[in-house]
Amino acid sequence: MKRWYVQGFAVIIAVMLVVTGCGNAAETTNETQTNGGTASAPAGGDKTTLTIANATDIESFDTHNNNNTMSEAVLVNVFDYLLKNDAEQNKVPVLATSWEQVNDTTWRLKLRDDVKFHNGDPFTAADVKFSLERVAKDSTLKQNTYYKHIKEVNIIDDYTVDIVTETPDPIMLNRLSRMGAGILPSKYIEENGIEAFLKAPVGTGPYKFSKWTKDDRIELVKNADYFGGTPKWENVVFRSIPEASTRVSELLTGGVDIAAGVPSTDIARIDGVDGLSVEQAKIQRVLHIIMRMTEGSITADPKVREAIELAIDNQVIIDSIAGGAGIPTRTSVTPGNFGSDPSLYDTFVYDQERARALLKEAGYENGAKVSFSSAVQYKEVAEVVAAMLTDVGFEVNLEILEASSFSEKLNSKKFNELFLLGVGNSLFDASNNYNRFKKENAAGETDYNNPEVEELLQSALQNMDLADREKQYQKVQQQFTVDRPTIYLYQMKGIYGIGAGIGYTPRLDEMYYAEDITLK
Amino acid sequence: MGKYIVKSLLQMVPVLFLISAIVFVLVHVTGDPVNLMLPETATEEDRAVLSKALGLDRPLYIQFGLFLYNAVQGDFGHSFHYGQSALPLVLERLPASFQLAGAGMLIATLLAIPLGIISALKRNTYLDLFISGLSALGKGMPNFWTGIMLILLFSVILGIFPVSGKGGPEHLVLPAITLGAGIAAQMTRLIRASMLEILNQEYIRTARSKGLLETIVIFKHALRNGLIPVVTIMGLQFTSLIGGTLVTETVFSWPGLGQLLVSAVNTHDMSIVQAAVFVIAIIVLAVNLLTDIVYRYLDPRIKYS
Repeated sequence: MKRWYVQGFAVIIAVMLVVTGCGNAAETTNETQTNGGTASAPAGGDKTTLTIANATDIESFDTHNNNNTMSEAVLVNVFDYLLKNDAEQNKVPVLATSWEQVNDTTWRLKLRDDVKFHNGDPFTAADVKFSLERVAKDSTLKQNTYYKHIKEVNIIDDYTVDIVTETPDPIMLNRLSRMGAGILPSKYIEENGIEAFLKAPVGTGPYKFSKWTKDDRIELVKNADYFGGTPKWENVVFRSIPEASTRVSELLTGGVDIAAGVPSTDIARIDGVDGLSVEQAKIQRVLHIIMRMTEGSITADPKVREAIELAIDNQVIIDSIAGGAGIPTRTSVTPGNFGSDPSLYDTFVYDQERARALLKEAGYENGAKVSFSSAVQYKEVAEVVAAMLTDVGFEVNLEILEASSFSEKLNSKKFNELFLLGVGNSLFDASNNYNRFKKENAAGETDYNNPEVEELLQSALQNMDLADREKQYQKVQQQFTVDRPTIYLYQMKGIYGIGAGIGYTPRLDEMYYAEDITLK
Repeated sequence: MGKYIVKSLLQMVPVLFLISAIVFVLVHVTGDPVNLMLPETATEEDRAVLSKALGLDRPLYIQFGLFLYNAVQGDFGHSFHYGQSALPLVLERLPASFQLAGAGMLIATLLAIPLGIISALKRNTYLDLFISGLSALGKGMPNFWTGIMLILLFSVILGIFPVSGKGGPEHLVLPAITLGAGIAAQMTRLIRASMLEILNQEYIRTARSKGLLETIVIFKHALRNGLIPVVTIMGLQFTSLIGGTLVTETVFSWPGLGQLLVSAVNTHDMSIVQAAVFVIAIIVLAVNLLTDIVYRYLDPRIKYS
């Protein structure tokens, strides 16, 4: 008899445990509620709420300490830059009203005098100094590498600043209009500390922070005092939905208005529904196959590298793996970036016969052994490339790695002959595309060393004659089609599912400016 | 009794120390977070600077000493990824994890007990075969597939439940079914086996021969004994579900501990991994201790020393 009670009691305890779990959850969910914003109604009702679904959550609300486009895509609604890119990559004023170059190392910017942070603090030159010097001086911040050459920011008056760099910087305006250049509230952070700021972030943007439930959603509310006029939406919600088919299901049921990263296999599912649409838009990411030119490796032979490029049919990869969402290219400096060479864009070279002949000439008629590494993210692309290389006589040792072990090997430069890498460019400038091919950085990875290219790259970094600088980068691109320390597969496109009644044109930089998203 | 609790609590200290040490070493030898934190264009020098700033250039034993010193004060360090203290980041996930695990267990229990009993009573009938088949199916269906199918049916086609995310109780239904189905399958088979064994016991025959109603025989005499292994399984399952429901969390975008822990492992966010494992370890130890105490309290024949 006694044992019954034991069991009975144990069951009750178990049930109580469950109930307490649920109860606690309702009471103690850690939600930081600030700025008077209330939680939003679900999308699809009165349509004052815009809901956007991404595959990942943001890293943090520290725009200086993120290193991922999806984070910044959210943060641009809360924080403002001094200037920003419009949809055509023209620089347009935001917090700055005008800018001029005083000398090679100094930019002078005039600031708006009618801007308030969400907590009511006025925006002044002190905030610009604080923000830019923070990202420039604190080497633990992930964006520091793009800003560390900023020597100081001088306050000329409350609404004028001078940005002084160590060396001439032809692309200062590009830096000021990208992630890492968001303007933070100096007084608020100095008084409360950065950790408090991260829990209750305050910016100048059109939307105010309301709530962040990590790995679930970020809720923003309209900033009625926005200097650019009353914002369009009452609430903007960013959902984090890692599973692609769940994102699509949310779109189909009206749970979200925009779903990013729609798999090409789901396009038909969305297109078949009245009112819903699919948009494909170019993004700033180009797939590279990077080749080791180290003495003694098989890819040190230019004929082998040429054979590799000729063996690959870029269009087939785009059509079969990416569902058509890509544009073949022979350069990573795609249109919209400073220094691009249009003659190398939307084209590729493919000639299997020539590839076979080149391998033979190089002395590898009995098979050329190469190893080829890829992160699991691009597994299918890598497999097709490997098959194409095998077709012309390569023996490919394909290595597919988890994201973190791939990064590990990438950064310790341990790849053998070939590896596949998707490279983004948030700077919209060719300099960013060639960092890894400068002699200093290439050592141990590609071991690429062409003194002529090196000189062009070094000179272009500080060349303030923009027309000449553009030519320098175009020369580099042409030379790369001969030297081939890397070849390119295609510029990727983002695939977005767009809900009924929503007007949205995806941007090249993948930012979601909620103010540019409309109700049709 | 008091002595026993104190002793058990003291025993937790070396266990937690050992777990921390193992996790610390594993996290530190499997990769360098600096590589994953910096942009693709970062130079060797950038990496060295960041590594030094984060204290990762110091010898491992010094880092471990510092970690222990801070950990005993409740400070597991800063998350590299979120730039915030690690422990609160972990603790704020617990409610969601408890909710999901609790609801999953509840559904599993509600399904498994009747199905298991019916299956045992009607053994070797078509009904039994059907239930056995059902539980084989439940065990065989991977969570991600069940989840996606449930979303398609109940959210997209029927429009009854929300697709994903955390919100009201209606948000909990589909993930809980997804999670519960697999556990229910396992429990059903367990209850069936255990009931079959008990139904053959002499005291059941005695009860029947006394002329007791069949319902009393089943529910009063057989079931309560038959639930012993179920309770054991429930306890084990519940603790393993805290932090162990990644697939379901991913499909339903449920912000539980599993997502946090796995993304922390992927980004080598050491302090989060350490804090999360520490918290999970404490929960497991606490639940075990609680079970022990309850058993002892209720059944004096059980002696602990």
